[in-house]
Amino acid sequence: MTELRAGQGAQTLAPPRIEARPQRYRDVLIALAAFVVLALLPMMFGSKQLLDFVIRCAAYGLFATSLNLLVGYTGLISFGHGMFFGLGAYGFGLMMQKTGVPIPVAFLVTLAITCVIAVIIGAICVRLKEIYFAFVTLAFQMLIHSTILSWQSLTGGDQGLRGGIPRPPFLGIDLSNHLHLYITSCALLVIGLLLMRQIAQSPFGYTLRMIRDNATRASFIGIDVWRAKLVIFVLAALFAATGGMIMALFVSGAYPEFAYWTISGEGIFINMLGGVTTFLGPMVGTVLLLILNDTVTRLTEYHGIVLGVVILFFAIGLRKGLMDFVVEWFAQRRGEGRG
Amino acid sequence: MTRTRKPGISRRSTLALMGAGAVTFAAPWVARAEAKTIKIGMPTILSGRVAQLGTSSRNAVMLEVEKVNAAGGLAGRQIEMVIRDSKGQPQEAARIARELVNTDGCEMLLDGEASSGSFAVHEVARDLGVLCIHTCSEASSLTADPKQHIPNAFRCVRQGIHDSIVGAGYAAGIAKAKGLKKWATCSPDYAYGRDTTGEFVLYLKKFAPDVEIISESWPKLFQPDYTEVVTKILQAKPQALYSCLWGGDLTSYIDQANIYALFTQMEVFAVNMADYTALTVVKNLPKGIHSGDRYIKTFPATPENAAWGDAYKAKYNEYPTNWSWQNATAVMFLNEAVKKANSTDGKKVAEVLTGLTIKCPFGADGTVTMRADDRTLVGYAIGWGTTIPQEPYVPDVKAGDWKTIFELEAEWKKSKGYT
Repeated sequence: MTELRAGQGAQTLAPPRIEARPQRYRDVLIALAAFVVLALLPMMFGSKQLLDFVIRCAAYGLFATSLNLLVGYTGLISFGHGMFFGLGAYGFGLMMQKTGVPIPVAFLVTLAITCVIAVIIGAICVRLKEIYFAFVTLAFQMLIHSTILSWQSLTGGDQGLRGGIPRPPFLGIDLSNHLHLYITSCALLVIGLLLMRQIAQSPFGYTLRMIRDNATRASFIGIDVWRAKLVIFVLAALFAATGGMIMALFVSGAYPEFAYWTISGEGIFINMLGGVTTFLGPMVGTVLLLILNDTVTRLTEYHGIVLGVVILFFAIGLRKGLMDFVVEWFAQRRGEGRG
Repeated sequence: MTRTRKPGISRRSTLALMGAGAVTFAAPWVARAEAKTIKIGMPTILSGRVAQLGTSSRNAVMLEVEKVNAAGGLAGRQIEMVIRDSKGQPQEAARIARELVNTDGCEMLLDGEASSGSFAVHEVARDLGVLCIHTCSEASSLTADPKQHIPNAFRCVRQGIHDSIVGAGYAAGIAKAKGLKKWATCSPDYAYGRDTTGEFVLYLKKFAPDVEIISESWPKLFQPDYTEVVTKILQAKPQALYSCLWGGDLTSYIDQANIYALFTQMEVFAVNMADYTALTVVKNLPKGIHSGDRYIKTFPATPENAAWGDAYKAKYNEYPTNWSWQNATAVMFLNEAVKKANSTDGKKVAEVLTGLTIKCPFGADGTVTMRADDRTLVGYAIGWGTTIPQEPYVPDVKAGDWKTIFELEAEWKKSKGYT
């Protein structure tokens, strides 16, 4: 399990408060700069493919990074995180189709519904450890997937939410305009990542690392382990649901595949690809996977073989994700330089 | 002099990467510059459990495109097909459809997606306004539901509701003749299975009011073991069984039910049996299974249909599937519509396509029509017959009556609130 440790917290549990404020300012500045760069991309390149790519990166990136809050930071390997991606897509799509409320209201209500469901599922799951946790989350995911398939009158069954998702303009933003959708997705991505970064770097984030490394010890020093796990489970679900909402807007629908176990599998694959010891590892993994997917499916229908070889390369060859490898490599070079 | 290679990315590699990036982003302009050919995009399923159907769709499209190109192309423009694998995932189908139009410069789409994927591509067509013909999705709601209607999207596919009406009429005739009153059903547990079975039972009871359903089984899609289902049906002792299992599920079910001699104990009506993919895979195809036609080169029994089936077999060394004839028909429609419009402009072609009737080897009377009010295919050969274990597999197919289909379909649409 040594590969699945985030933030080098296993070695050092340095008190975070001393440098917390300057680091927060730095994170906000980086986020602002990233948003400005992303917002300027459409002006520099006219490629609609690029915009589509970034929108998908936003959806999967939020999903994968939120999964890393569980896997990398808390040591909770969830095989069912995709259910919240699907819940986000369906919740938002249904709100827009059935109620016609403004988009921000649908967004917030979807988050509220996801929160309630995540609390219920989390309360049951986080009591369990390791493989039992993994499989019970998978079981809940399959339950939600089956419910979506069976509740045809509401969800449209295997055909998904039909007829498109209405997108009435709000505050001058018209999400049926592709550029507006792009900017909104970028904003959600940057805000989401910033919030997750703050969670990871907060005292609560360090508590999670302690739970991951030694839950018994954390419990002995007075930490309510169950509550901390439940809180991060619910928070991660909210970010995954946001990813699902972006995907629902991108495809203008919601489909049972969004809540299927393969989505969770992709999330885990992204984390393996990008690495779980750095905060941006899953984001890098998302970009890598989507580039791989998009280029390989263009060239051959035997993409499964290519992706399989890539997984083997990372799992057996590097034995870590790309960002883990890069960070270690830089640290090594710096060490050599000083030496 | 020794040259040292510094670690990291070299200047040459950086330039090469930048060049590759520039080519990627310049692709749309390059694509537009080569407008002499007309690109038609096609997302379909080329990997996974239904890859065989996606491949057969691609084969059929290429067979027809070669003919059109040999005859001069679409309004003088050679067709270039850009076909990509969606893996059966709706989000991938949507992405690929957008990419085909926005980046590859495709001017039309043939949507070779099933079920949810077709709805995802439909939304792309709605968003981009590109001419789109669905060629694989049998879900009736794709065109029956007025919420789905857009002027640039058409469906060149058989429909579940048509199959149910014809199947129920055929089955009711046999039920009356043989006194089959106790029926069981066994269909996959998802929208297609439940909808098609529900509609079949509805019309069966309409045509033969004495019929009673005494057992229902809903195995999961892609379920490997059917023992429990087979024994449940045998215990209920029905006189007849209806099933809309398909593909690998149907062949597994038949192989497993054969062990229990199920087919000797009741009449079996399996709507998706008469497709070469199923007929040629079952180890011991029982005699006398009643089935709807999917694609059989002997129905319609015309030289044109037989020649098309043989040409496909000669080229690809396998028989076409149900998806094959639908895709081939879509290319035939495009060809005729472009000829009539004398243009490859999507809007003009869409206007001509609406209500267009063309000669076609798969038509009930040698023609098929793209019905104007819901832009969907009608008039195709549809019928039921019984199987034999060797070619021609279903020697005598009884054709359905399109007049009855239209009447009952109109009633069904009204009951669903579509009209």
